[in-house]
Amino acid sequence: MMEGTAYFRRMAKQVRQDQVTRAARRAVLIDGIPVSALGVIALALGSNPDQSATQKAWWIATTTAFSLAVAWVLLRAFRRADEYLRRVQLESMAVAFAAVLVALQVATLLDAAGIVALHQLAQLILVGGLAIWLTIADLRTRFHR
Amino acid sequence: MKNRLRELRAARRWSQADLADRCQVSRQAINAIETERYDPSLPLAFTIADVFGLTIEEIFRPDRAGTTGTEA
Repeated sequence: MMEGTAYFRRMAKQVRQDQVTRAARRAVLIDGIPVSALGVIALALGSNPDQSATQKAWWIATTTAFSLAVAWVLLRAFRRADEYLRRVQLESMAVAFAAVLVALQVATLLDAAGIVALHQLAQLILVGGLAIWLTIADLRTRFHR
Repeated sequence: MKNRLRELRAARRWSQADLADRCQVSRQAINAIETERYDPSLPLAFTIADVFGLTIEEIFRPDRAGTTGTEA
């Protein structure tokens, strides 16, 4: 009985003290959601094959802003993280980078074979790489407790 | 690298989060060090040693199974 109470007390304490980690995760989400939305907008703007000069300018501007915003989110996440979390993030980024390289290679081959158009997939591949990076980093910090 | 983090923490009745707060790192970092999945940097090892009031050598020791090393 006493052991059970002690266990629950310990668990409650653990949950309460995880607020620091949750706060860090929340900060990444707060940064990441508007940037992801910007990515979707950039993708939507670039999806029209018959663009006017104005539309093209908007598309390029949005994509540039998205790229800069991604770099800004990365920098903020790195500054916030300690040395262990920084390593986790870098390893996750390495996996995502490899996935992006492979996907780009496959897309290039398919483009050469006339099956798909590379320019239509390029942004999806980059956003996919971002998703892989965030998912791996989140899962690693979530399950290694 | 082997360490006595869990033992020292238990002796002081500190949770991983308590130690993490004292060392100003995440609880995941303390957990990774304790379970020997991650070797801390020298500055962090010094911080941990300071927090426990010990030297680095009293907390961390090299994992030299089967080697003679420099010890007498």
